[in-house]
Amino acid sequence: MDFTLNVTFYVYIAAIIAYVVREIWRTKTLRWVSFGVFTGALVLNTVLVLTRWYEANHAPMSDKYESFVFFAWTIALVYLIMELVTIFIARVHESRLGIIGALQSLLSAWMLHSAINTDSTIKELPPALQSNWLVVHVINYFISYSALSISFSAAIIYLIYRAIYRGRAQEIVMTGSDSQLRKDVTFDKLAYISVTIGFPFLTVGLITGSIWAKGAWGTYWGWDPKETWSLISWLVYLSYLHLPMILPKTKIKKTFAPILLSIVLLVAFPIVLFTFMGMHKLPTAVDSDHIYAE
Amino acid sequence: MAKAANPQDKKAKNDSKAWQFVCSVKLAVIIIIILAVACILGTLVLQMRPPEDYVSRYGEGLAKLFSAIQFTDIFHSYWFAFLLVLLCVNLGCCTIKRWRNTVLQIGFLVTHISIIMILIGCFIDLQFGEKGGVNVYEGKSVDYYLNRADYRKIPLDFQVYCDDFIIEKHPPKFRLVTFVKNKDLQKVIPVKVGKKINIPGSSYAVTVKDYYQDAEYRHEPINESNEPNNPAIYVQMLDSNHVTAEGWLLAKDRNWYSDSKRDLKVEYLWADNDEDYEKLAKTVGKSAKPKLDIIIEGKNIHKSVPVEEGKSISIDGADYVVEIKQLALDYANRAAPLREQSLDNPAVRVEITGPQGVETRWTFSKYPDYWDKAHQSKYKDIKLTCSIPDDFSEAANRLKIVQNKDGKQTLSYLNDGNLISIIDWEIDKSYEIDETGLQIRIVKYFPSHSTKREVVRRSDNHEGHNHAPGEHVGNPAILVEIEGPRGIVADWMLVNNPPKWYPDKNLALLYEQSGMVVKDYKSILRVVDGGKTVMTKTIEVNDPLKYKGYVFYQSSYDPEGERYTGLQVTRNPGLAVVYSGFILLCVGVVFIFYVKPFLRRKLKKGQKVKDYYSDDEIAAEHIE
Repeated sequence: MDFTLNVTFYVYIAAIIAYVVREIWRTKTLRWVSFGVFTGALVLNTVLVLTRWYEANHAPMSDKYESFVFFAWTIALVYLIMELVTIFIARVHESRLGIIGALQSLLSAWMLHSAINTDSTIKELPPALQSNWLVVHVINYFISYSALSISFSAAIIYLIYRAIYRGRAQEIVMTGSDSQLRKDVTFDKLAYISVTIGFPFLTVGLITGSIWAKGAWGTYWGWDPKETWSLISWLVYLSYLHLPMILPKTKIKKTFAPILLSIVLLVAFPIVLFTFMGMHKLPTAVDSDHIYAE
Repeated sequence: MAKAANPQDKKAKNDSKAWQFVCSVKLAVIIIIILAVACILGTLVLQMRPPEDYVSRYGEGLAKLFSAIQFTDIFHSYWFAFLLVLLCVNLGCCTIKRWRNTVLQIGFLVTHISIIMILIGCFIDLQFGEKGGVNVYEGKSVDYYLNRADYRKIPLDFQVYCDDFIIEKHPPKFRLVTFVKNKDLQKVIPVKVGKKINIPGSSYAVTVKDYYQDAEYRHEPINESNEPNNPAIYVQMLDSNHVTAEGWLLAKDRNWYSDSKRDLKVEYLWADNDEDYEKLAKTVGKSAKPKLDIIIEGKNIHKSVPVEEGKSISIDGADYVVEIKQLALDYANRAAPLREQSLDNPAVRVEITGPQGVETRWTFSKYPDYWDKAHQSKYKDIKLTCSIPDDFSEAANRLKIVQNKDGKQTLSYLNDGNLISIIDWEIDKSYEIDETGLQIRIVKYFPSHSTKREVVRRSDNHEGHNHAPGEHVGNPAILVEIEGPRGIVADWMLVNNPPKWYPDKNLALLYEQSGMVVKDYKSILRVVDGGKTVMTKTIEVNDPLKYKGYVFYQSSYDPEGERYTGLQVTRNPGLAVVYSGFILLCVGVVFIFYVKPFLRRKLKKGQKVKDYYSDDEIAAEHIE
């Protein structure tokens, strides 16, 4: 198991390199090579998830180690689906999506690196986690986090483009011509689309967590730090979704608006990561019994 | 929606800027952001703690400020509640104002109404809901619960019986942990016999060579050499050829045996020279006497006196006279004559006379704090402790077994300090001990006594095992071989014992029980209403019992035994509203982000091509 984990980590690293190379030398072969390497990493990650499920005899998302491996898998899966939709449904032939691919591979690699440095002993599920809600709640969250991570990557790239080209060139990911898209999709729009994909899962995750809490502990909301931070995450993305409605009415220039929105995303995703991994750092963490994953 | 109203009227009504603002998306976003910040503060600032905690953590000034602006309980503060109410109003107005009766607007309507419903449901529960807990002992019942907020007893109009409480345990798991000191590296390595594991980041390798599922230490006395470094004899006391007691006596350690019934003390002594020999064999000799220590606190007075019954000691510098009234070797048997008491719980009874009269105290050699903790002292500044040596004896009959390095070994019998007889002894022969009616036999002699400790497979006779049938736990042991800079070292490790260090003191191994023991806990609850059993259910975490609006959750249990079950009790009248809100919210967001884009494409097919990914259009949808 250790060996497979390390190999998967290195294949993700290879995928990063492959995507970067592909973005520099834009040949069709390189496109398929990078896609292949990334898919290879996803396949290996799937093996990790399935073998853990079999060995532990419970859904592999109940402790820190399992969460890292599972999250790396959903990140890769969601990005792969996005690539497939781009190729086969939107029928885009030329795109800069690979830059996002590199960043997503980096994120997955980081998650696996964390997994390597975490105790991987199989632990029995405490009574509170012996419930089907565990799977529903956690899967919703990891899929939403994966989609939101794409928005984070896209926001970074958008801001870098704006900084370098200062509006002289378009920050296009996929062009409208030669595809099923009606208009060019720029990185900030890609970010918005990713949020629209991820937000419903975030909402469902929040609500299933609440219903599960009622069934297990008797209260659907206890202002426990983890619950509170998951609400904060939801509120931040909620405000991101409503900002485009009010920005035109403010004094903010139309060309500056996407920059502001990208900055919001830059702040939002670390909040999500903090909710996932950083709860033990809080001074109020002592009062919580939600931090079993730490 | 406002078709019937006069457009002019409508415009007049909505003209006030304040009203416009209350209905605006801008206000909603502002409230959302403030709520988010408030939530963040609620997790950074300590919440609902006693005032001292705030002062110690944040200082007096900040603590006062926090208290004043209700930062100490943000989520239940007035301003937080106000924000939520304002949000409700804003949502309501927004929804009414911007709703157009189209299919595409379903998502908007549903999501916003759902949030209002959730907030209303929460409010209903806050005002009319109940929450608390109660412990129910196995076989007993309760007809109340304790309110969470103030622990008041809240009656229920039915009884809840706990017919049984069950804990299911996992079989214990064990793990081997390695720790490299100079790298501060801790790693768990799997226990697999025969597999050599290199500890990453270090130059050590560990191999588990063998495994016993159930093991124990076996201590065996051995003789290390013929030099009398630690002389010891194995002695049997006999009564008409029946062995009444036996054991090892070590000359340099525990070298005595007392039989209070026969008024006998047996001692084993080693003589280094002839002079010593004469003294040890022929005289009773001195042993440490019991002492009483008197300490007057505050005056720095410390007096140490030998314990002699009837002796009075006056304390200079303080107004006290301490009289020693009684010495007991066994407090429980203190009424018996001293000779008949065996040394078990030695104590001294003392009378202290002072300005406020006489106070009696017992002071215990083994439990110096006991008296002060259990009794109110009249004179609190005077502290007494006594020390009575383990080998103290007033026995009249003394048997001394003395040896010296020249091979001389004798048994001498003394009575009341006088030497009665002295003979040479040999191994395996029994000798009468004069008037006592006992015989003694020395079975073994080890000049250099030592104990060999070995890990062995435990035999199957299950002595001293405290577990239910079928729940055998087992005490595993592993033979580990460690390879490192100082070569290869191998040794047995029994589980849950102190860590084993490699010779260079840089690597430690710990074999311990890991993981949790409790798998699941359940209670069989029975509800009795109006004298009849109306419901029975086995509850566990995630599966509560519901009756008459009350829900009983398996929350905890008696940590020390399994005598009671801990239940969480709630009643949420607003739950239906909250859950409806939840479902609508889920449906709504899915509609807005997954269904609507496709619907929009279909519906606008015939019209001018719109870019449905542009933020402008999304904005346009919501502006009048």
